[in-house]
Amino acid sequence: MKSRYEVAKNVFVDSIDIDDYIDLDSSVTAYQQLQHSMDKPLKMILLFGRPGTGKSILLNRIQEKLKHQKEIHYFDTPAINEKEFFHKLFKVLTKKDLPSNTEVNFSALVDFCKNLRGKREIIILLDEAQMYGPEMMEKIRLLSDSRAVKFVVSLHKTDDEDLIAKEHFQSRIWEVIELKNATKEDQTAYIHKKLLKKNLFEIANSIKEKNMKRIHKYTKGNYRECNKLLFTIFEICEYYDKNEPSKVNYEKISDKIIEMSALKLGYINV
Amino acid sequence: MYDIKQLEHEWKQYRKRKFKPWYIGSLSLLVLIASVTVFLMNEKTDFSEWKSYFETSKEVFTDEGKSKNTLVSQEMNVKQSVLINDALNTLEVKDNVIDVVDKDVQKPLNILVDIPVLDDPKEHFVEDGSQVRNKMHLEIIESTSVTAYKDVEKRFLESHDIDDALFLARSYYKKGDYEKAVYWALEINKLDEDMEEGLLIFVKAKAKMDRKNEAVSILTTYIKRSDSQEAKKLLYRIENDKL
Repeated sequence: MKSRYEVAKNVFVDSIDIDDYIDLDSSVTAYQQLQHSMDKPLKMILLFGRPGTGKSILLNRIQEKLKHQKEIHYFDTPAINEKEFFHKLFKVLTKKDLPSNTEVNFSALVDFCKNLRGKREIIILLDEAQMYGPEMMEKIRLLSDSRAVKFVVSLHKTDDEDLIAKEHFQSRIWEVIELKNATKEDQTAYIHKKLLKKNLFEIANSIKEKNMKRIHKYTKGNYRECNKLLFTIFEICEYYDKNEPSKVNYEKISDKIIEMSALKLGYINV
Repeated sequence: MYDIKQLEHEWKQYRKRKFKPWYIGSLSLLVLIASVTVFLMNEKTDFSEWKSYFETSKEVFTDEGKSKNTLVSQEMNVKQSVLINDALNTLEVKDNVIDVVDKDVQKPLNILVDIPVLDDPKEHFVEDGSQVRNKMHLEIIESTSVTAYKDVEKRFLESHDIDDALFLARSYYKKGDYEKAVYWALEINKLDEDMEEGLLIFVKAKAKMDRKNEAVSILTTYIKRSDSQEAKKLLYRIENDKL
């Protein structure tokens, strides 16, 4: 017999599936801010935040929403090399596949983009852009100068990194949107909405306010970490449900299980 | 799937470590409270013991000079003999150890004291050293107190105790009230004609009252009868105005 916790566990499998997108106050604000920025005559928009703050899913969401209104393209994974990237870009711009054994002439591509000015407005969503080297970023900047192609660049932010100070962002970034970790209230809403979306009312109700506080303490409001922790919690619950049902409190998730999950993921140590 | 048993074991260790400071803190607090309680209880007991000890030792008379501040209480234990000198004018307490139990009253030194209750002062004299801790209730009244003499006079009228009469005769003579001294000397003589001291007080009082001839006459008659050396000495003093 399938455990109720198995379904709950799968709710928190980390993905950028648009179906998993949860409307929260903070995410709605970020979405509206990004949409508003894209309507402006900007060349580049910088979207940054710590890993797991929802950048990818936001790009995915906005692409999904605006794909019928705008010429918008989502580059989810960074290209292995420059050649592959320009192949991809060529296809987007020309709507044609580049013949094999040929290379894109970058100057010709820039000229092509300049000719598109006023005729088409293309938006490229570049996820994980920290993977691109400075040379690539410089070429992306030159393409954006054509005003025909607009880039939304998504970057990870680390503690000692001031992205705006980087040379290739200094003069041309016109709009900066930062995503932050969720507050306790947002994270609570996130967990509940995710479970309720799958009709898991009882399980959603079994996670009490005290549990939410503890989960927020361990994950610091990071959505990815939250998904990982909840997945582990329900996995342990699933084990007990199947093997030692006496150890499961169906009314309330126990502190023991949350702490065991935190130990497993390394949030706390013995 | 994880190794749940291992995870449970780790979790138990984590809980132990997590609550260890609380256990230690609670235990320390309990020990501290218990220690303070025991200390306070002990301190209370010891303090009362020390208090009584110091209060007792504070009242011990070490020398006669200290008797200026003689402390007399309602309940006083006299632990050594009490000597009353021949004039019964001073109270001499030798090596007294007095336990003051309750209220203290200061008493100046060398004041003339009167002891209305004098059942048999000699009894205390003859007691041997083994009875040094004989208890005695002392009611000391200043000699200036008129009521004290009146009390003794009143008692004499009831008892006709020669000692009371002798006490009054001595006291009045010493005070200079020679008429009363003569009166009480006559009372002595009425009770015991052979009581020499009564006669001598009578003669001395007469001499002091400028009735020297009368005094000499009585004394001469008495010397002839008794051949008393004390009487002879007194006669010499009266005749030579050395009284």
